Parts: sequence; C-alpha cells; structure tokens
Amino acid sequence: MTDASISVTQSVVEQFTERYLRSIGCSIERSDDRWLVSVPDDTDTEITHGRHTLIRGEGTPDDDDDRTKRLHPESAFFQQLLREAGERSPSGKLSIESESDIESPEWIQNGAVEVQSAQFTPYYDRTAIVVLFRVGIETVSEYQQELLRAVAVDTRSEESLPKLAETFLDTTTVESETATSGTVQLTKTDVRPLLETARELLLESVQGQLDDIHREASRAADSEVEEYRQMQQQRIQELQEEHSNLSSKINDLSEKINTGDEDSRVQALRERKELKSEYEELDETLNELQERRDSGFPNRQREIRERHSLDVQVTPLTLTEVEYERGEIDFELIDGSIHQTVTLGYGSGIGVSDTVRCSSCERELTERNPLQTVSDGLKCQSCIKER
Amino acid sequence: MSGYDLVDIEVTHESADDLLDSLSEDGTDGSHLQSIQAVRLQAGQPDSELRSLKELDENAVKLLEHQVDAAYRALFEMDGKALLADEVGLGKTIEVGMILKEMHFRETDESVLILTPAQLAKQWQAELREKFGLDFVCNYDDEFEDFDAHNYIIASIDTAKSERHRQTVLDRDWDVLVLDEAHYVKNEETDRYDLIDRLSYNYAFFLTATPIQNELTDLYNVVSLLRPGLFGTRDVFHHYFVNSNQETLVNRDELQDRLNKVMIRNRREDTDIDFTDRTIDTRTFDPTPKERELYQAVSDYVKGAYSQDQGQKLVLMLLQKEVVSSPVALKKTIEKRLYDQSELTHADELESILDLIDEIDTVTKQERLLDIVEEARDNVEMGRVIVFTQFRATQQQILDRLASEGYTVHAFHGGHSSSEKEQIVEDFEEEGGILVSTDAMSEGRNLQFCNILVNLDLPWNPMRVEQRIGRVHRIGQKRDVFIFNMALKDTVEEYVLERLYHKIDLFQQSVGELSSILSRLEESGTSFEDEIFERLVAADSEVDLENDFDAMAVDLQEQRELADKLEEFNSGVFEGFDLGESDD
Repeated sequence: MTDASISVTQSVVEQFTERYLRSIGCSIERSDDRWLVSVPDDTDTEITHGRHTLIRGEGTPDDDDDRTKRLHPESAFFQQLLREAGERSPSGKLSIESESDIESPEWIQNGAVEVQSAQFTPYYDRTAIVVLFRVGIETVSEYQQELLRAVAVDTRSEESLPKLAETFLDTTTVESETATSGTVQLTKTDVRPLLETARELLLESVQGQLDDIHREASRAADSEVEEYRQMQQQRIQELQEEHSNLSSKINDLSEKINTGDEDSRVQALRERKELKSEYEELDETLNELQERRDSGFPNRQREIRERHSLDVQVTPLTLTEVEYERGEIDFELIDGSIHQTVTLGYGSGIGVSDTVRCSSCERELTERNPLQTVSDGLKCQSCIKER
Repeated sequence: MSGYDLVDIEVTHESADDLLDSLSEDGTDGSHLQSIQAVRLQAGQPDSELRSLKELDENAVKLLEHQVDAAYRALFEMDGKALLADEVGLGKTIEVGMILKEMHFRETDESVLILTPAQLAKQWQAELREKFGLDFVCNYDDEFEDFDAHNYIIASIDTAKSERHRQTVLDRDWDVLVLDEAHYVKNEETDRYDLIDRLSYNYAFFLTATPIQNELTDLYNVVSLLRPGLFGTRDVFHHYFVNSNQETLVNRDELQDRLNKVMIRNRREDTDIDFTDRTIDTRTFDPTPKERELYQAVSDYVKGAYSQDQGQKLVLMLLQKEVVSSPVALKKTIEKRLYDQSELTHADELESILDLIDEIDTVTKQERLLDIVEEARDNVEMGRVIVFTQFRATQQQILDRLASEGYTVHAFHGGHSSSEKEQIVEDFEEEGGILVSTDAMSEGRNLQFCNILVNLDLPWNPMRVEQRIGRVHRIGQKRDVFIFNMALKDTVEEYVLERLYHKIDLFQQSVGELSSILSRLEESGTSFEDEIFERLVAADSEVDLENDFDAMAVDLQEQRELADKLEEFNSGVFEGFDLGESDD
C-alpha cells in the first residue's frame, strides 16, 4: 500500500501556505525572500490578526516574534498552519470525473498489443469512502514509527478499492487545487460500519510491517531474557561457592569442637552457630533462586515481554466521500493488421474491474503474464512461449 | 528464538467521533482538500533531512552527532561544496561516506571521483564498502581500466594527474569530486592544483585537518578552488584580511563569516569521543640457535639476490618478512619458487635454506604466544584474544597448535565469503577463545567486544598496524586495550619495532593521526615498506643498519612533530572557529 505522506520541500511549503492563507481571506504581498501577510479581523484562524512578515527559508529562531515568522518545512509557523488546516474540514466530498485519463490494465500495457482507442460508458454512479489513517507503532526497542495510509471502501458492496485509494492520493497532492465539490451525503449511521471495514482493511495492509517490527521486538525481548538468565546463573554459581565455603568452614569448626579444649570449644560453638544461621539463610536464597531458574523466571519473563509489547494506535484523520462511476470500457486493440475490440467492466478511478483469462489456456492475464496476441482470441505470453 | 509470539501486539482504535461529527458541517469549497493535504504534509518528512540514515547498517558504522551534522550542513547549507576541516581523528571519512550515501539515495551521484594520497586509497575503498555499502573501483584494482570506464572511482591524485590519465580525467563532467588531504593543493603553481582547478564537477567535498599549512594564502587557494570568488582575487584577499606586515589578520569577523559558508571544523573537545587506555607490551625473545641460523641464511640470500636482480624485490621482501613470522610460511614460498621456476639462480642456496627449516623443531614465537593466551584465559572475559599474522601458513600452524592445547579457536582470512566472515566474528563473540586472523580482518570490521590483541608478526606498513589496532580500540570499546607485540631479537622486526614504531609512538597514536604523518611522508615521495627494505639490504654492517634505522626514525619523528605543530597552529587559528581578537 502506498505511503500517503507527502515530502515537505520548501516549494511545497510555500505553495500550500500561500493557497491556504488566501483561502481563509488573507492577502499576501511577495517580495524576494519576504512575504507581507495581512490577516483581516474577521478571519477565522488562530494566526494573530493584522500584518505579518514571513521570511522564506531557515534562520535563527530569534528571528521569530509575534509579527515575523520563518517559513520552512520545520518552522513553528508552518506546523501551526498544518494543524489548523488539517482540523478545519476533516470530512468532505470529492468526485473522480469520468473524463480523467483512462488507464489500460497492466496486462495490456506490458503486452505486445497496442491500444488504438478506449471508450468508457458509465452506467451507474457509485459512492465510496476514503479514509486517511495514521498508524502509530511503538515499542521500547524501536523509535516510534508513524505511517499514513489511505483506505477506500465502496459504500454499497463494502469491497476494498485499492486502486481508488491510489487515485485519491494522486488527486490530492499539493499541486491540485480543485478536487472537492458539494457536501457529504452520507450520515453517521452510514459511515460507522464502513469505517469498521476500512479499519480491518488497513490492519491487513500494514500487517507485513507490523510483523517485521514484532519480530524485532521479540528478538530484543529474548535477548534481554537471556541476559537476565545468565546474570542469575552467575549469581547462583557465586552463591554455590559461598555455600560450599561456609559448609567447609562449619566442618572445620565441628572438627575443632570435637578436639579442642574447653575455651576454644565454646568459641567454636558460638562461631558455628553464627555460621550455621548464615548458611541456612544462604541455602534458602539459593534454593529460591534455583527454583525460579528451573521454572524459567516466569515473572521476570512476563515483565520483559510486556515491556517489549507493540502498541499500535490507529487514528482516522480524514474521511472523504468519493463519487465515481462504473460501467464498461471498450478497448480497441491492434495486433499487426488485426483489430479487436474488448469490452470490460471499468470504473473511474478504479480501472478495469474484470479478471480476464487467456482464451487458449485459461490462465489469468496479469502484469507478469500479459496479452501477447489478439488474433484468434486473447492469448497470453505463456501460451505463445510454450508454442 | 522461541518467544516470537510471546510479545503482544495491542491495537487501539482512536475514537472517530470528531470525524463523524464533522460530516454534518458545511465546509467552504476546497477546505476539505486542504485538510487532506495538511494531514499528508504533517506525516511527511522535511525533504532536506538525511534520508539515507535509516538505510545504514548500525553494526557497520556508529555515527556521531558532529558527523551527521557536518554531512547535513555540507549537503544542504553549503549546496554540496564544502571544506571538511575537522581536527584529526574525528571521522572526516565517515562524514564524506554519509554525504555520498545520501547523494546515492537521492540519485545525484552518477559519477564520483575520490582523490586521495596513494597510501590511503585502498583504505577509503574498504571503509566506503564496509560502512556505507558503496562500491568504488580503486586505481590499484586489477579491474581498473581508465577514468572513463567506471562511474565510482577512488584514485591517488598523482595517478589522476599523470600524463597517461590527465586528459581522460579532465574530459569528463563529474557529479561529485572528493579530495582527501586537500592541503595537497595549497600551492597554485603545482600540477595538482592545476588538475583540480580544471576539473569539471557539480559537487565537491575537500578534506583536511590543516587547512593552513604555512600562511593564510593556503586557505585562500583551497577555498577558491571550491568556491571561486568567495574571497575575491588574491590581491584583494591579501589587502583585506592580512595586515601590511603580513603577520596578523584584519577583518576577522568577515573572514569568519565567509569561511562559515564553506568550511566545517569540529574540534575534539566539542565532541563526545572518549577512548579508553591502551597498554603496549612489546616482548622480544631470543631465537633458538637454529632459528638464528635460518634468519641469517635468509637475510644473506635476500641481500645477495637483490644486489644481482632488483626486479625480484617483492618476493625477496616477502621472504624477509616470512622468516620472522614462521618457518612454515617461509617454507611454502621457497618450495613454490623452487618447483615453479625451473631456471632459478641460487637454487642451491634455497635448497639449503629448506634444510635449515626442517631442522627447526621449536618455534619460539609460537611457544611464547601460549603464555599470553594462557594469561588471557585466566583473566579476561571468555579468554578472548585476537592474534594477527600476515601469513596464512603461519595462521594455520598457530590454529593447530592452539587447538591441540585445548583452546577454542577461530580462523579469519581473505578466503572466506563475507557471510562466513560475519559468522566467524559472531562465533568468536559468543564462544570466546582465540581468533587468529590475517590482515584481511583490517577492513572495517568491529571487534570492540575483545580487548586483547597480539601482533605475532608486524607489517612494515604502519597503516596496517594501526588498522589492526583500530579493530578493537575504537569508539565503543569500554575496557582498556592491551596490545602485545612479538619480535625475535636481532631481526628486522626488532628494528622496525624498536627503532621506528616506538620512536613515532605508533602504538599510542590516536586514530587518524598516523595518516597525517604518512601523507606528509608520501608527499616527499617515500614508501615506508620500500624504505625499510632498501635500508635492510644496503647496510654493510650491523652498526650501519642501526644507524640507518635511526636516521629513518629521525625523519619520521620530524614529520610527526611537524604534523603536531601544524595541527596546533590550525587549532589556534581556528579556535572555536573564532579567529580571535581582531586587531582592526
């Protein structure tokens, strides 16, 4: 699925800023690297009303004050503008016109046959919703990753329309000025189930990325568990050593008690008592640690794995009702001297919707197995090669 | 690993209420499109960030903040024409690697020419490959044809300016030119300067730790190559920035402002680089009488053969090096020579050397190596030691010997594929024990997890020694590093070690210092290895030899002192990039 984000270059920044400011009623006088912006009092914006100077490009933050702002991809002013514009009208309507360029399917584009003409006849008006989702993925071992993805769903059939989502992205670049029209017809009740479907489709589409990050997080957790296990093992060894030292000291003292004179016996007994209690304490710690080791340190494991778990946050940011048309398309194909017209199901913005098979071998025509000839039916590349 | 599915994924769907509420609101025409665009821009990256950073292999290269910063500024604030003038050892090569990586990522590098001093060309090639995955052809590679036959070339500047290649180099429009040790072109009357002046390129990155070698004019020349016109004409520059008695600067602030447009200079104290201590333990051993006899025989043979036929220099040099590495290495070469070449002069001498080799039953260095590894086994984490030798035959014998003593051993040499090499390093880290490596290891591999290194034999090229040490003593090494050098008494190795390497404090050099000394030497037209060999075979007596090596050491020391002085001078001049109090 295509990344829906747009790279923020200086020229894009300026293009967007100028259009946005003018659209909310500001006027701009441009001179070299400065823009003088007037924000009328009745303008609905968070930007302070009155006159401002925008300086193009980067510079020291000191240049920023109430009336003078920097304009570049990371400038505070531009970020504020984006927030404001993003929240202004998160839902709306957009039409994909039938006159927009007709794109022949990849199995024709990659094949050996040329398209002489293409004629689209729309039969039905259809509606879809396109949702822009922000997907935030966070783990302890990775920086937060943010993805922006567009998902398109037909409102009636709830089928996924990936091609329409791509067309949507193509028609909403910063270069495009007038792609929206009219007010949204869909109601909350219509949209709720569609949004559910869109969420599911979204998760399917980012599954690959989630899996990759999941694998990395698991590896990080595993190595932390292993490190902990080794550390505890080392501790066990140290305790065991101490344990056996104490044990032999106690034995030595017992020997003394059996053989020594009265005074040294009493002294040795006292010492042995102290050592024995130390020994018992150690014994307990050691046993406990060994038990935890034998059961695989379950608490610690759980704690580590919980810490490494992936937190995925899905936020729908914009919702667009898209009108498109469905009908049939006639491709007139030329193969040498042979002309052949093929009629296929088609939708504006979604392209050819039919699956077409080779008339000889019944294999599906695809980008990799394109149309090779139209003489005597539509034949695929594999058939011709095998001949 | 077993725990793959033990780590949870928790998906939270943020509420869509606000979004649904907005369905009923009437937006102005076009405002929804702007909202979509704004959301898409918010998710986008500023286009002037280093987008290739994420592509880098973190294990291959650890980037430091000042390096990333320098690469960014050179590319985006200086429009791809910059003088990178960090103090030595701060990783100027890394900065250029990042710049080239980024240009590669943005596909603005169809043809790249890197000009370096001859000694550093291969090192550049290895670093760019290992650390940045960038493949360059070097003019010393067999596959190198000419300057119009490849798109990514590393060459010595003198090869590029040679009569044979000059025109081809100049006929081409290069996308990127990198010039290492840019002070080479400080003098406008040299062929080198002329070459760079005539070269056609879109982007250029010049590197030097010492932009000023003698006088401010040096800086004028280097900068003017990069940004013609930045300083105006030579005369104007002089009148404007240097006072009449030619000793002090005037208009410093302005000089600094202009330099800021083209030059980046990081200073060590401004970075967070902190190296651990390095302890050098040089051990010289008495050879056994048999070994001494063999050494004498080989040296006599080399001297005699060389006086008759200087064309055999390389192989004679090899014999001289092998005899101090191990008899078995020597044996292999001699046998090959005897049996491959039927019309060999001095065959009888070689035969008798073979006999001497066969008589040797104790190899002193190998016996003494056991002391070191045993000590390590008792005192160091997992007993990890790296033993370097130049020769595969020596390597094999050591491996066998150590294995028979019960040590865990790992072999690393140039014959392994790169995935095998990676596996070997991984095994060594996990299992510990001893890694016996040839100098194939020297290329860009990081072994900071080990802190003991043994030089079983010593390369006659100090750059190689530095590369060996650089494998373990680098950024990221947390423990002190111990280097053991092994040499036999009264052999060439002892001379190289005692009289040369120790004199220039080779083993205590901080990374990068050496290249400035060596490139100075090279500028005077000397190859280190050749010089050692020539002195060795030319000496008439032991006293002569000692004096010769001392003389060479004096030269080296002088170069080192000069390099130090220059660095100090430049530090002073550019202090904090603040050129000091203006006297105007």
